[in-house]
Amino acid sequence: MSNKLLLAASAVAILSASPAFAADDVNLQTLQAEIQEMRQAYESKIEQLEQKVETLSEQQNQTTKKMAATETAAGEALTPATSKRHIADNSFNPEIGVILQGKYQSFSANEGEFAGFAVGEEAERGQEGLGIDESELNFSGSVDNLFRGSTTIALHEHGGETEVEIEEAYVEAMALPYGLNAKAGRFFSELGYLNSHHSHADDFADRPLPNRAFLDSNYGDDGVQVSAVLPTDIYSEIGGGVFRGNDFPGGGADGNDIGSWTAYGRVGGDIGDNTSWRLGVSTLQVDGAERSANEDKVVFDGDSSLYIAGARLTHALGNDQELIFQGEYFHRDEDGTYDDNDAGTGAIAYDDNQSGWYAQGVYKFHPQWRVGTRYSQLHAGDVPAGLVGSALDDGGHDPWAASAMVDWSNSEFSRVRAQFNREELSDGNEDDQIVLQYIMSMGAHGAHPF
Amino acid sequence: MRYYIPFIAVLGLLCAAPSSAFAKVNVFACEPEWAALSKEIGGDLVKVYTATKAHQDVHHMRAKPSLLAAMRKADLVFCSGASLESGWLPILLQKAGGQNVQQNTVGWLMASDFVRKLEVMEHVDRSMGHIHPEGNPHVHLNPHNILDIADVLTERLFLIDQGNGPAYEANLSAFKSKWKTATATWESSSSNLKGSNVVVYHKSWAYLTDWLGMNIIASLEPKPGLPPTTAHLENLLQSLKGKKVKAILVAPFENEDAAEWLSERTNIPVLHLPYTTGGSDNANTLEDVFDETLSMLNKAAH
Repeated sequence: MSNKLLLAASAVAILSASPAFAADDVNLQTLQAEIQEMRQAYESKIEQLEQKVETLSEQQNQTTKKMAATETAAGEALTPATSKRHIADNSFNPEIGVILQGKYQSFSANEGEFAGFAVGEEAERGQEGLGIDESELNFSGSVDNLFRGSTTIALHEHGGETEVEIEEAYVEAMALPYGLNAKAGRFFSELGYLNSHHSHADDFADRPLPNRAFLDSNYGDDGVQVSAVLPTDIYSEIGGGVFRGNDFPGGGADGNDIGSWTAYGRVGGDIGDNTSWRLGVSTLQVDGAERSANEDKVVFDGDSSLYIAGARLTHALGNDQELIFQGEYFHRDEDGTYDDNDAGTGAIAYDDNQSGWYAQGVYKFHPQWRVGTRYSQLHAGDVPAGLVGSALDDGGHDPWAASAMVDWSNSEFSRVRAQFNREELSDGNEDDQIVLQYIMSMGAHGAHPF
Repeated sequence: MRYYIPFIAVLGLLCAAPSSAFAKVNVFACEPEWAALSKEIGGDLVKVYTATKAHQDVHHMRAKPSLLAAMRKADLVFCSGASLESGWLPILLQKAGGQNVQQNTVGWLMASDFVRKLEVMEHVDRSMGHIHPEGNPHVHLNPHNILDIADVLTERLFLIDQGNGPAYEANLSAFKSKWKTATATWESSSSNLKGSNVVVYHKSWAYLTDWLGMNIIASLEPKPGLPPTTAHLENLLQSLKGKKVKAILVAPFENEDAAEWLSERTNIPVLHLPYTTGGSDNANTLEDVFDETLSMLNKAAH
């Protein structure tokens, strides 16, 4: 689009066509002179404009300040001086967001072990009774014209102790050429749909079973991720990352090597004005993990490959009604040894596949009200003889969970939810769960999930 | 050495392709009004993508996949600003925006940065509802604002697509003379609207009423961004007794139930104004939007 390139291109065009015009030397010269003239005229104009843009943005700041000053002068009597602080998301301070969550949970069964799976602590159903759930503090902002930083610190209670966790702490290079985006630090990887989202943006009070069993609700590790939105008519994006390999399903990374890597691709688009869709595939490959699970009672040592395929469809019905459908399929291939200390199996060779899926629908039938339903299931695969009777033995049962929820949002910053779950994670162990929850967000305006 | 020749030729073609005279400037317009203005000034030289439709509430949009694809190709991002698009524009910019459309670049044009904003807040709190501390972002409903923004848009197009500068300037002056005449007509036809009262759904109409000297005396929303409640409407019904109100203004993306409810009990007519281009069957250009708005307001005033 640059003027010079254009000139060069026309010059090339003129030169290459020169035989036809050989006799018209005079014309060519006038043409060149004209181009020269035009170019000079443009360049001076462009310089002027560029200066104007610069001064404009300065003036703009000043006039807004002046206007604000005059306007408040009129309303001075009404507002006490102490309340006059200007709050905007993008002043010099980082944007600060606080998420407060609280829950009441009641379970009908005493325990919720996953038949055939050894899971991390975030996969468990949480504590019964009243309690504050995860509270999050988020700071984010532009570092300079190239980098943007964000950190999310989560506070939660586990076993009566308050835990402080750095959920995310990353920098992101913005505005790289060719639609590239690079992230470094600790962050929730792009894996399936839900993984990169924080739980407060979810449509249900808990994650579906495959996210809980395979990703311990969220895979967030230290590493680098590069992605590119491709210049296609429909949305398409590819990306991947390399990580330390310390977070579940990894573990015990000594940092000598890259512990895990991810790759993903997705496409999306619109059907008409009201429907949009998105399809994605992704993988998480962990090499040489030493993963402790089931409260350190089960140890997996080996390679773990997870593959996820998913789809999401949103459909707007009129001004303020909406339907959202979403589903994902998970497949995990593991090669290594499992050792269940509790069952005293010793390290037993394991080379098999597990899988899981969920499907959910959410219907927003009023600007403030939504209902949703979800089903999720896991399949553990065959168990080697040495692990019969251990946590890896599913006893011929596929864990399943069915959920129904209703939530109410007074504004887009507050939400109150009631959810009912029926889970049968191990054979005959039916668990009816009631979850009441609030999610409140203060401060910086976060992006709407998409 | 010869192997290089086709390689260089292909490379040359790749480099030249985007700068060829046929490449149009890709404008990513967040709202239909800015898409319409881009077409007025850019004509055939620009390719305009409109992120939202007249019947969609811009506040509550998501960063849909199709928007990411469009942002990826944008040479100019043209939106209302003042955090109207804060739920989705930042994430589009982060994920798919090029170097030339980032904030504070030539390709980043927020209309509300270039006009005098109404309702600029010094102290804000979310208990006041979904308000914009930077001021009311619905700036396009004052035709004088459109003129100022058209100037800035032309400058930006000039800087982005230097080769076609004169064409943009010619379009601008044609648009301006047309617009000034039209504005004079609208203003002379609307003198009897001055001082009249209206009820609105949301403060999307602040610039229109400010321009015409009308007063917004109540909103159907109890707080900006919160849907009408029965209690609030009952209160409104009481407080509007004995007051002269010309109309209840409703935009295409706003729920009409509350307006109809109030209208039935007060006999104040509900006006479904186009609000932006595409907001009614006839509102194809910005001029149509104002023509229709003024004629509907004038009709209600009689």
